[in-house]
Amino acid sequence: MNNVRSHVLVCTGGGCIASGALEVSAALREQLEKHGLQHEIKVIESGCLGPCAVGPVASVYPDGTFYQGLRADDAEEIVKEHLLKGRVVERLVHKTPAGQPVSGLHEIGFFQKQVKIVLRNCGVIDPLRIEEYIARDGYQALGKVLTEMTPEQVIAEMKKSGLRGRGGAGFPTGLKWEFTRKSKGDVKYILCNGDEGDPGAFMDRSVLEGDPHSVIEGMAIAAYAIGAHQGFAYIRAEYPLAVERFQHALKQARDFGLLGKNIMNSGFDFDIEVRMGSGAFVCGEETALMTSIEGNRGEPRPRPPFPAVKGLWDKPSCLNNVETFASVPVIMHKGADWYGSYGTEKSKGTKVFALAGAVNNTGLVEVPIGMPLGEIIYDIGGGIPGGKKFKAAQMGGPSGGCIPKEHLNVPVDYESLTELGAIMGSGGMIVMDEDTCMVDVARFFLDFCQDESCGKCPPCRVGTKRMLEIVSRICEGLGEEGDVEKLIELGKTIKDTALCGLGQTAPNPVLSTIRYFRDEYDAHIREKRCPAGVCPSLVRAPCQSACPAGVDVPGFVSLVGEKRYAEALALHRNRNPFASVCARVCFHACEDKCRRGSLDEAVAIRGVKRFMAEQEVTVQLPTVQDNEENARRKIAIIGAGPAGLSCAYFLARLGYRPKVFEAESQPGGMLVQAIPAYRLPRQELAREIRMIERLGVDIELNMRLGRDFTLESLRKDGYEAVFLAVGAPQGSNLGIPGEETDGVVDALRFLREYNVRGTAQVGKNVVVIGGGNSAIDAARTAVRLGAESVTVLYRRTRAEMPAFAEEIDEAEHEGVRIATLVAPLEVVQKNGKVTGLKCRHMVLGEFDRSGRRRPVDGKDEDFVVPADMIIAGIGQKLDTAEIFNGQALKVNRSGFIAADRITGQTSVPWIYAGGDAAVGPWSVVGAIADGEKAAVAIDKMLTGAEHAFWRENQQPDTEFDPDADPVQYPRAKQAMIPVSKRKNNFQEVELSWSEAVARREAKRCLRCDYRAPAGSEGKVPPCKQ
Amino acid sequence: MSEDRKVGCTCSCGEEVSEQELLARLDGVLAEYRDKPGALIPVLQMAQGIFGYLPEVALKRIALGLNKSYSEVAGVVSFYSFFSTVPRGKHLVRVCLGTACYVRGGKRVLDTLKQKLGIDVGETTPDRQFTLEVARCFGACGLAPAIMIDDDVHHRVKPNKIELVLGPYRNGEAAKAERKVPA
Amino acid sequence: MTRINSPKDLKAVQEKAKKDIDLRSGQKDMRITVHMGTCGIAAGARDVLAALLTELGPATDKVTITQTGCAGLCDQEPMLTLTDKAGGSFRYGRLDKNKVGQIVREHVLRGQPVLEYMIKC
Repeated sequence: MNNVRSHVLVCTGGGCIASGALEVSAALREQLEKHGLQHEIKVIESGCLGPCAVGPVASVYPDGTFYQGLRADDAEEIVKEHLLKGRVVERLVHKTPAGQPVSGLHEIGFFQKQVKIVLRNCGVIDPLRIEEYIARDGYQALGKVLTEMTPEQVIAEMKKSGLRGRGGAGFPTGLKWEFTRKSKGDVKYILCNGDEGDPGAFMDRSVLEGDPHSVIEGMAIAAYAIGAHQGFAYIRAEYPLAVERFQHALKQARDFGLLGKNIMNSGFDFDIEVRMGSGAFVCGEETALMTSIEGNRGEPRPRPPFPAVKGLWDKPSCLNNVETFASVPVIMHKGADWYGSYGTEKSKGTKVFALAGAVNNTGLVEVPIGMPLGEIIYDIGGGIPGGKKFKAAQMGGPSGGCIPKEHLNVPVDYESLTELGAIMGSGGMIVMDEDTCMVDVARFFLDFCQDESCGKCPPCRVGTKRMLEIVSRICEGLGEEGDVEKLIELGKTIKDTALCGLGQTAPNPVLSTIRYFRDEYDAHIREKRCPAGVCPSLVRAPCQSACPAGVDVPGFVSLVGEKRYAEALALHRNRNPFASVCARVCFHACEDKCRRGSLDEAVAIRGVKRFMAEQEVTVQLPTVQDNEENARRKIAIIGAGPAGLSCAYFLARLGYRPKVFEAESQPGGMLVQAIPAYRLPRQELAREIRMIERLGVDIELNMRLGRDFTLESLRKDGYEAVFLAVGAPQGSNLGIPGEETDGVVDALRFLREYNVRGTAQVGKNVVVIGGGNSAIDAARTAVRLGAESVTVLYRRTRAEMPAFAEEIDEAEHEGVRIATLVAPLEVVQKNGKVTGLKCRHMVLGEFDRSGRRRPVDGKDEDFVVPADMIIAGIGQKLDTAEIFNGQALKVNRSGFIAADRITGQTSVPWIYAGGDAAVGPWSVVGAIADGEKAAVAIDKMLTGAEHAFWRENQQPDTEFDPDADPVQYPRAKQAMIPVSKRKNNFQEVELSWSEAVARREAKRCLRCDYRAPAGSEGKVPPCKQ
Repeated sequence: MSEDRKVGCTCSCGEEVSEQELLARLDGVLAEYRDKPGALIPVLQMAQGIFGYLPEVALKRIALGLNKSYSEVAGVVSFYSFFSTVPRGKHLVRVCLGTACYVRGGKRVLDTLKQKLGIDVGETTPDRQFTLEVARCFGACGLAPAIMIDDDVHHRVKPNKIELVLGPYRNGEAAKAERKVPA
Repeated sequence: MTRINSPKDLKAVQEKAKKDIDLRSGQKDMRITVHMGTCGIAAGARDVLAALLTELGPATDKVTITQTGCAGLCDQEPMLTLTDKAGGSFRYGRLDKNKVGQIVREHVLRGQPVLEYMIKC
């Protein structure tokens, strides 16, 4: 048996088993036998290695090659290629984000920043063989403790190590042992809490399954320290494999004389009995766990007396959790000082986290305590899948709280987390992305606590039920003003009065989500809207819910699928008049939330829309409710951009005849001034503006607020309401020396000059500063005007550029150079003219409050980019002094007009505001939505009632078979004119689809809006996964 | 109650065993545990293993055997979600609604299962094949959403693929991978 | 099964058990790489590997055995490369069972390279 030359360790942690690890190991054995290698190569089933997301995984030694995503079918190739010929099967090894295959564990990002102390043996040894544990220094610590140390010395060493209970509360382990040691009594118990009930935490399971002896040894050392001779391991019944392996390990330890009478001839007797939980979360609470072992209903009892004094069967007892015990042998073996060298001053050592939820590398990770949260999620976890945005990390399960993106930089230690309203807990770390509704999350945890409340004390039993009722109501769209305050009050009462830890911490998830995501609660309560698109009562379909204007996406898409183009367009224009415009420039939040995206790729909604808009020959007018009384009332709208024109459109549909004042010589606002014609052909915009005019809207051009008229003069002229939609027309300053030099312009001015006046000066070597849409528009415009080289400089990375990804790609195709992580320092000039821009390379530093890594100065020397023109596209602002002209309107923190987010009303009751002027530069469709909201609110102010008839959703009468499988076409591509044919002109870049392509794409829609007709069973919408 | 009443044995061997036989097995367990402190819960766990659920007759026998009142035994049974006093189906389907599974669509999986099996949570299909339950976290969070059928964890379950998961159990061909534990 | 009665017993069990898992740490005195490209296998590398393991017997513990592809000296196959503790590299070619046995006895166990089988280049 000695001539074994290679070991294949197949991970058989719970995750990998579920992925088929046992089939893989069986296939490997079969193949080895087939090739006659069974005597020289050994297959070993090890414990959890951590990266559950890519399981089943296996490591081949001696070379240490790491294989992932294995299937039984792969066994043959591994045996034939790798084990026989020594050729690593590249197909099955890990790939770096750049696609480079790496075969060694240490080369993989997931493992690089980890420090494995508790998990030292998991995935490295065969958990069923005590010899392998012993080979890796197992039971050395027990031997040392029993033969060389007094119990007091053991306790002193534990105290010195700074180990704190890993079950959640973080009580110093050494201190706990000391209390129990000092307690009077002949019989004492050592208890292991393996009732890992926190949903989202599974490190105890992995340790019990992958390295059971470390827990046994830890318990034996603790027993010696406190003077116990009997231990109980309470393991949850949901972990049958853990129970099995632990019991197997106990037997082996007894056989070796490491448990039982007179261990190592020291005179110390100790043994352990396993007790299985029976599915009660509260039994994870120490006193409840003890009552459960005694054979009773697992209800907690009041403390004091503490278990150290009166615990199991009223004897002094010491309870630690699995992870704590697993840390003990290493600490004793390598010493407290060594252990204390990891972690922070107050929280020493390492902690295991179960990384789950919306993160690429889910699994178990062990890191030194104090590592910033962002590093765990991004460097080890590999960030958020699908390009979604990080929203929060839930830590500590039902007793814990959420940490939002503002605090990604928090060092993960006991104190820092508590300060933010979360807890370390047992180490569950659930990453949530933008698709998670925080109110729904709060409801989930309340439901959990309510369900698991043992019912003994009223604050927990009744209080959590009351809170659950309120939160459920909010999720269903029936929330009322004041509900949040009620939740806070109830939560505080429960915290102060509940009997045990479960009750006292039950309100935490609610209080924490209120603390960081109050706006989501408000959206549910006030707007009856679930911003994440989760709460079923508030979300008809995720795409529609994501659209700021609430366009019935499944409706118009399915109508296009049936060639009913005019109806489709009318349905679109019911909520958004600018169908053709949005088909070109919308940032399509609908596609980001499209459930088809989880199946293959999102439906190309914008493409379908474009085809639909192109089918219109003569413009159809929407439904209008004539109203003579409304027609006589005077309403002024300032600014003929998307917000202003949308407001005018909806007011007109209620019978008003609003007047729009526009400062420039053309209507359209940013649509005409900033967005270049190659993205939005002018005739498309003109057509939709004409439609609005035909509803009775009067647009007066060249009328600038503050110059040609004032808010005051409007009031005098009898206007009853004003909607301020003036945009954010001024570019922000660069704030670097030399920016007033000739040749430095701001992007908006540059774009406006070309788009409105038809000509603009452009340099030979153009540098554009900024990463937003204006910057990219300016760069591509400069290319078309004949610039020889155009470079875009951005101080963060490409992933963080606010401009649409497809625009950046196209800019590059057209020859624009994108340089990221570069910050401008100073304009270089000669004789008053720009000659270059002095820049500095940046590197990514800590996470800032926007949840992104802050660019900080790099080490390289500053450098100069030669340029004869510098275009600054770093932001937009609004000169409020000019437009307010004496009116006492409030501004918000960013310097824009403060307006109610639901009504648009400003601090002056008859003045409303929306679009960029109120929220800062945002989006076309956002501005359109603001216009609609203001129209509804203005009408309500004037008439006292809401008349927004277009807000009523109509179920489309299109065909849909809920039982049919989704059609299997891939997402249709957007064709474009070749670069050579577009670089010198402003022709529209994107080409139209044929009818066949458009209709096929429309049929890809999964129809999340579909509700079975009353009486039949509810259809389950397709899963997000 | 006639002596030859047959009860389905739940060790999945498919044999029909008489209630008398099962009670005799229970007596064996009771004899072993009678004097151990805190024996009630392990005995109940084993009894449920023997009968598949905890029928009244078994509970009465346990109360007698451990010298406890019937109400105390019943009280403990009602406290823990693992114990069931009604017969279960041949296969126990448990849907994880732990946090990770919940945020990854566990609720939709549950809704689909309810629809496919035509039963609500806690119920058993008329053909006694499946019992549907929800659970809190199997510790398979990295692979959410997960469901557990008997002792097998199925992960990343998709609602529209649920029949593929159920099918083998329905046909009695669920291939259980062998777990190797040396004696 | 032996009962462990003292830290000394434990050490003994550990020493024995270590040999089993040492190949996972990759730190051994000697490494033998068998060239198992298509040419090597055709020339009988598989038998050479098998013979190597048999000849090494208990000494397998001291040696890390790996395989690699063709070294570009196809006419020398089957061949192996032996790397010793000092980092010295010895390449043996045109091997057969007997030659492997001799290499194990003289080079691996006694530290005496078998010059006659070494590839000369």
